[in-house]
Amino acid sequence: MQYEVEIGGRPRRVVVTRSGGGFAVSVDGRTHFVDAARIDAQTMSLVVDSVPPAEHSAARPASPGDRRGYEVNVALLTGAGELQVHVGPVPVVVSMNGRRRWGQKHDGHGAASGPQKVVAPMPGKIVRVLVAAGDQVSPRQPVVVVEAMKMENELRASREGTIAEIHVRQGMSVEAGALLLVIQ
Amino acid sequence: MRKRGAPKYNHHDLKKVLIANRGEIAVRVARACRELGLSTVAVYSECDRTALHVRYADEAYPIGPSAPRESYLRIDRLIDAAEKSGADAVHPGYGFLAENEAFAAAVGDAGLTFIGPSPAAIKTMGSKTAARAAAIRAGAPVVPGTEQPLADADIAGIAASIGYPLLVKAVAGGGGKGMRTVTDPSDLVDAVRAARSEAGAAFGDASVYLERRLTRPRHIEVQLLADAHGTVVPFVERECSIQRRHQKVVEESPSLVVSPALRAAMTSAAASIASAVGYTNAGTIEFLVDEDGRFYFLEMNTRLQVEHPITELVTGLDLVRWQIRIARGEKLDIDPARMLTPHGHAIECRIYAEDPDNNFLPSPGRILQLRAPAGPGIRDDSGAAAGLDVPIFYDPMISKLAAWAEDRPLAIARMRRALDEYLVAGIKTTLPFFRWLLAQRDFHDGRFHTTYLDEVLKARNGVPFTEASAEVEEIAAIGAALQVMLSPSASASAAGCAAPGGPQAWRARARAEGLRGA
Repeated sequence: MQYEVEIGGRPRRVVVTRSGGGFAVSVDGRTHFVDAARIDAQTMSLVVDSVPPAEHSAARPASPGDRRGYEVNVALLTGAGELQVHVGPVPVVVSMNGRRRWGQKHDGHGAASGPQKVVAPMPGKIVRVLVAAGDQVSPRQPVVVVEAMKMENELRASREGTIAEIHVRQGMSVEAGALLLVIQ
Repeated sequence: MRKRGAPKYNHHDLKKVLIANRGEIAVRVARACRELGLSTVAVYSECDRTALHVRYADEAYPIGPSAPRESYLRIDRLIDAAEKSGADAVHPGYGFLAENEAFAAAVGDAGLTFIGPSPAAIKTMGSKTAARAAAIRAGAPVVPGTEQPLADADIAGIAASIGYPLLVKAVAGGGGKGMRTVTDPSDLVDAVRAARSEAGAAFGDASVYLERRLTRPRHIEVQLLADAHGTVVPFVERECSIQRRHQKVVEESPSLVVSPALRAAMTSAAASIASAVGYTNAGTIEFLVDEDGRFYFLEMNTRLQVEHPITELVTGLDLVRWQIRIARGEKLDIDPARMLTPHGHAIECRIYAEDPDNNFLPSPGRILQLRAPAGPGIRDDSGAAAGLDVPIFYDPMISKLAAWAEDRPLAIARMRRALDEYLVAGIKTTLPFFRWLLAQRDFHDGRFHTTYLDEVLKARNGVPFTEASAEVEEIAAIGAALQVMLSPSASASAAGCAAPGGPQAWRARARAEGLRGA
């Protein structure tokens, strides 16, 4: 089984085959031997090795780094259509472009090119619009303030550009996912 | 008979408590009630029918739509629920109506016991200017500033006499709402306008006053309990200087910078202020401490604080239990000296449903899985559970994680261990942020003040808190691929639907796909 797994904008080719009681998983050509035990519908305990389990013997005992254990939890991340994979405590956002697609693909928001759409992450009220059409904005510059969950939340440009469209004004109520403005 | 607002203290026969709140604090109060043999009544808005506090309580009453104004802030509906249920007391928790004198009075007028201070004390200490005046009368030092709410026309002149930088603060304020820092006189008008608009929306009172802004102060507060018989007992201080946008994020007790002499001075000032206003029940006096170790009264919170667990951990006392005992007229018979001597060290992290890598934007949604840490010295006060939504309508705090140990370094180590055990799947949380913060040298050395965190976050300029190593990314790729391959219905189960069967069904599916020998 072959998958394209994208993490942090970098795609990796992952090939999974059965091997002994477990799996041989190659990631961009590096092969790991994985003993996967199911804990619940979202959680697996993985014991990962660089050699097949059968090759461990009294003559060749495990060296440090062999048989490393990980608890992996895979959940669909709210709203994003991406997977949230916890490796131990560390959350990693993962997109799967393999044979089975989980949820819809991300719509270019935050991508490196193309127009950047700033959308309301939750229902709320527009407290302030901090830019005007035609303004130049720099990365992480606040562009609009939305009040929701009893707090004022600044939404920011993810990269530099020019404000192409503004769809809201101060005082407006917006639904989750509403397009607020577009940065070209 | 009893005058309106006068506290009643003859309720030795309390049997049933209505908890006028939601989330973790409602669960916390219900636990104390259960330990005292009292039955509990929960109230809930439309979106909270399945919330933990409703499931924990003995009885539950709906009080309206999800918006707080339509439910948790509706005094009439809360009193109605109390009467229908036959409750004889009401605990307000914190937030919502906890510091609303009209609510405390309405509870008393309905013949019920309010588990908290009198309406008069709430009113006096709820007005920041009246509270300042009370502190001055009690002989406590206050931050230089105005004693009265200000008219727009007077502000510029008074600001010039106080000096910059200064703070514009809402008279009815709290939690940093309706507060602005002004460094440059030309920003004063805008700051006053913004503070008034925020305060008007949040508290229904747009009046503001001015206060000098101390440079690099620490926020250190004194918990106290006061009974109806004139006894006031202050507790060892809580250090709450780690704040983001004026909201406490990490608290600890004791403070590294409070000497026994400073502790004696601060706690005795706190007790004097409480006595001066005839305070009863649990309350907290907040102080700022400047770089020279001088302290100034900031405000009083006339309720149980979010961060009360760390005081409980270092004193061994149950503050909520004592709130109820005081409300039913009992005498505080605890040893005051013991409450000023911390046993070990405690730290609390407020875990939020916020995305720390996206400017701490709220991250509401469904918690698909939740595993809270445990083991020595760990306490998790949570209102969240797997399968529950973090609603968009309320404060997005998921849990208060507290660690206790015999000293501060071990308490930090325990907290870091517990943070690494904590799993919340399906939404983003501030856990990665805390793992980063508790690894900082400044935090270990206790070198921080109330604007420390905002300054550090600004300097980091959005660098992600979660920096997965190449190894972790590779394991994540392996895990994601195996999950997709082995659990054809995994996206359904990941979306929170019940997965039939568990391990056996999973093996059966794997066999059906020919992936694993029978």
